[in-house]
Amino acid sequence: MISGSKMRLDRLCKVLVLAVAFCAAPAWAAFDLPELMGLLSKQKSGEARFTEQRFVHGLEGPLDASGTLSFEAPDKLVRRTLSPRIETMAVDGNTLTLSRGNRNRTLALDSMPELLGLVEAMRGTLTGDGTTLQRYFKSTVSGAANQWTLDLTPNDSRLAAQVRSMRITGRGGEVLGLEMEFVGGDRSVMNISPKAAPSAVPASAPGRATP
Amino acid sequence: MSLAQAGGPPGWSRRIVVLLAWLLVVGLGAVVIARTQIGADLSAFLPKSPDLRQRVLIEQLQSGVASRTLMLGFEGGSVEQRAEVSRAVGKAMRESKLFDLVQNGDVSDWSEAGTWVFEHRYQLSSGVMPGQFTVAGLRDAIIDTLSMLGTPAGNAIKPLLDRDPTGETQRVAMELVPASAPRSEGGVWMSRDAPRALMIATTRAAGGDLDAQAVAIARVQAAYEAAARGMGEASPKLLLSGAPVFSVMSREKIKTEAMHLAVVGGIVMSVLLLLAFASPRALVIAFLPVATGVVVGTASVSLVFGSVHGLTLGFGSTLIGETVDYAIYYLIQARGAAVAGTGWQRWREVHWPTVRLGLLTSVCGFAALVFSGFPGLAQLGVFSIAGLVSAALATRYVLPVLAPDGATGMGMRRHMARLAGLLVRGLPRLRWPLAALGVAALALVLWQGGHLWRADLSAMSPVPRSAQLLDEMLRKDIGASDGGVLVVAFGDDEQAALRHTEAAAARLDALVDKGELSGYETVTRVLPSVAAQTARLASLPDADTLRANLVEATKGLPLPASRLGAFVTDVEAARKQAPVQRADLMGGPLGSVVNTLMYERPGGGWSTLVVLHPGPGFDQGRLEAALAGLPEVQVVDVGRELGGLYQRYLHEAFVQVLLGALAVVVLLGVYLRSWRRLLAVCQPLLFAVVLTLGGMALAQAALGILHLVGLLLIVAVGSNYALFFDQLRTTGRADEDTLASLMLANLTTVVSFGLIAISDIPALSSIGRVVAPGALLALLLSAAFARNVAPGKGPSPQRPR
Repeated sequence: MISGSKMRLDRLCKVLVLAVAFCAAPAWAAFDLPELMGLLSKQKSGEARFTEQRFVHGLEGPLDASGTLSFEAPDKLVRRTLSPRIETMAVDGNTLTLSRGNRNRTLALDSMPELLGLVEAMRGTLTGDGTTLQRYFKSTVSGAANQWTLDLTPNDSRLAAQVRSMRITGRGGEVLGLEMEFVGGDRSVMNISPKAAPSAVPASAPGRATP
Repeated sequence: MSLAQAGGPPGWSRRIVVLLAWLLVVGLGAVVIARTQIGADLSAFLPKSPDLRQRVLIEQLQSGVASRTLMLGFEGGSVEQRAEVSRAVGKAMRESKLFDLVQNGDVSDWSEAGTWVFEHRYQLSSGVMPGQFTVAGLRDAIIDTLSMLGTPAGNAIKPLLDRDPTGETQRVAMELVPASAPRSEGGVWMSRDAPRALMIATTRAAGGDLDAQAVAIARVQAAYEAAARGMGEASPKLLLSGAPVFSVMSREKIKTEAMHLAVVGGIVMSVLLLLAFASPRALVIAFLPVATGVVVGTASVSLVFGSVHGLTLGFGSTLIGETVDYAIYYLIQARGAAVAGTGWQRWREVHWPTVRLGLLTSVCGFAALVFSGFPGLAQLGVFSIAGLVSAALATRYVLPVLAPDGATGMGMRRHMARLAGLLVRGLPRLRWPLAALGVAALALVLWQGGHLWRADLSAMSPVPRSAQLLDEMLRKDIGASDGGVLVVAFGDDEQAALRHTEAAAARLDALVDKGELSGYETVTRVLPSVAAQTARLASLPDADTLRANLVEATKGLPLPASRLGAFVTDVEAARKQAPVQRADLMGGPLGSVVNTLMYERPGGGWSTLVVLHPGPGFDQGRLEAALAGLPEVQVVDVGRELGGLYQRYLHEAFVQVLLGALAVVVLLGVYLRSWRRLLAVCQPLLFAVVLTLGGMALAQAALGILHLVGLLLIVAVGSNYALFFDQLRTTGRADEDTLASLMLANLTTVVSFGLIAISDIPALSSIGRVVAPGALLALLLSAAFARNVAPGKGPSPQRPR
């Protein structure tokens, strides 16, 4: 814990030094991945509703889905689709369980890089785990603390063969959107609306002020 | 015989006949041996007639997938280098056609398998049932399939959408993905906790075909060297493990060790004999019975069993110890004949009966092994019996021809004789202390009880600890079922076996849904029974019905029925398809799956193997309960069954050894015809056994079956010494030269078993560690408990018995 906060402090110092050295850069450019992760990692668990639209070439109209998302740091994530069908994808550590009807299937998550990438993008973002994110993706952060965008491009060849890019957007410590661009041109857009849980960080206290 | 009665050396014609007969026997033996295959699998030391579960296990160990599985690791280097080596080696292995299944996480060549599954989806998919093609069923299935679009899996599903909107291909494919698989990185399997790429492969050759296994292993090594060449110092290193590696390694080790023991034993023995006889000629003659015994013993095993186990061969050197005794007795005891050339006759009359009795007691001991029901032990028994009998016959018939008056030289024997005399005179004074020691040892052994016999089957394995650790590590990495618990289904024919497998799979599915099992692999996913396939095809509707249902089902969905014409055509075509049979799969991309999970049983009928992925919620009791009531399906807990086998093995060996010992005692009793003499002969043997056991208990050695066999050998070998002391007592003839022969014989036995005791092969060393001290004790105790045999003043009168 001590070393963790020390590291973060080191990184902050570096950011400050860089900001001073390149003072020509606009102030918001200093909002970077460690800082975003700092904001996100304050939330240890959460629940949200999502609506998703998928745009698939060759289909007449988008595919709609909606349901709930929940996560619990460090590595639990559940996506429960309520419409059009009830199905659940639950990740706990390295175990992925798919449930549909009363059938369950269990898989080792890291044996399937395509799935692993998706899960880590969600899980890493929700829990503010920058190290994991950087292991699987090249990341670019833009915006400011109250309106940020995280662009991810996969490193792993098997994931990259399927997913061109992911864009996660949010405000403060909350993730509000997830867009995926697939190889071949299909696209999926997910809107996330966090439930007003008592544990949620109030909007008036946006983590840390930008320098 | 008539010539022999006349006195003098054997006549020329007799010599020629004997020598020719002997050469013929040895020559024939050599021819048989040259054509013999040498085995090394430890399953030869498993019983022949175990119960159903144990038989399944033995089939698995001997010829099942476990005996053919190789595990590879590529350790070190960069991720890219590891992935590159893994892919290159995998490619070379697949091209070599030496392997059934080569898995390294590389899915690039799965397209062929995918095409096959797609073409047969309506026979293979468990989703194909009557409800699936009703309006509601179609709508559900199509929505399911659509829900996969717009995910990373979508790219794979989209091209099939128009022909397979209900997602049957995807269902089969998902079922073929194992529930627990290694981590994938850079497109290949990697360890979760070390910089190591992983691969698993099964050889096409049977587990018992060691020559073919060695070829396959060499192919892997060559492929690795080719792949890693040019990567420099930091190139990934090859780690290789699995049953084939162990078997080949064991065979090599047993071969070199047997050779090593034979050479060192031969040299030590030669030195001893040279010291004793100071005559190279005597040395050569002394080795003839040994060589005869080893050749005839090996050839007999080959003729009886079809092959010779490496461990049996390793015993060749243990035999040297006992068979050379015959020659020593002869060479010394045939000396000093009144008329030149008649020494052999006197030996035959005075000493041969004792040697013959010693031979018979030994044969009794080893006969117990022949009838033990364990092929490995039976081989040892046949080897020893044939070896001892032929060595004794060679001594009896060939040595008189070559050395009618025994050995000429005296060498150091005078000193040995003096020492022997001292021992024989001095030891009886230690009788009571030795007896007390024996009682103490007995108390210790009884107090330790069953704890003493705590060695297990793995204690017999010649595989070094480091190799076992490597195996464990790769197994854990790959997450391959360690074969801990297997489910095996049987049937009288292929179809019955498949139907029983499907019955088991239905019960296992329930466990998977409850989360009590992560998953399982079964051959019926690519080869369902004909009954299941027929039922599936029968549930396909005709084209008109399907078309009508589709119109209803796709209302409001973004996939209009008008696009699904190809689906209707495919379903119509599928209705006329012939069921997939095993033969159809064999040449194809999924043939390896069938070969791995399905096999013809040695005794007739077929078996399939269901490989479990237990997962955290696994409970073996619930698994067994779930499968109860399916008599053709057995749950095999490998650890438990092996433990049970071993216990049974140990128990049977105890009975056999006791019977063997009993046979020895009865034989001695019949020959001696005196309770007093019988007791006198058995007493030192019993004490030798007890003291040896006590010593082992003190050393805290974990005893096993081979130690037990060693105890029987103490009795078998030691009875020779005890009988000689008995003979000395009754004939009153105890000249120091005879005692020296006894001592020399004992020394050679102790040395040869002592060499085995320090061998690297646990099975051999455990016998050596028991017999070497035991044989020495048997002699010392025979001397200690013998009364009135001390060499008297001057030579005793010699009386033929």
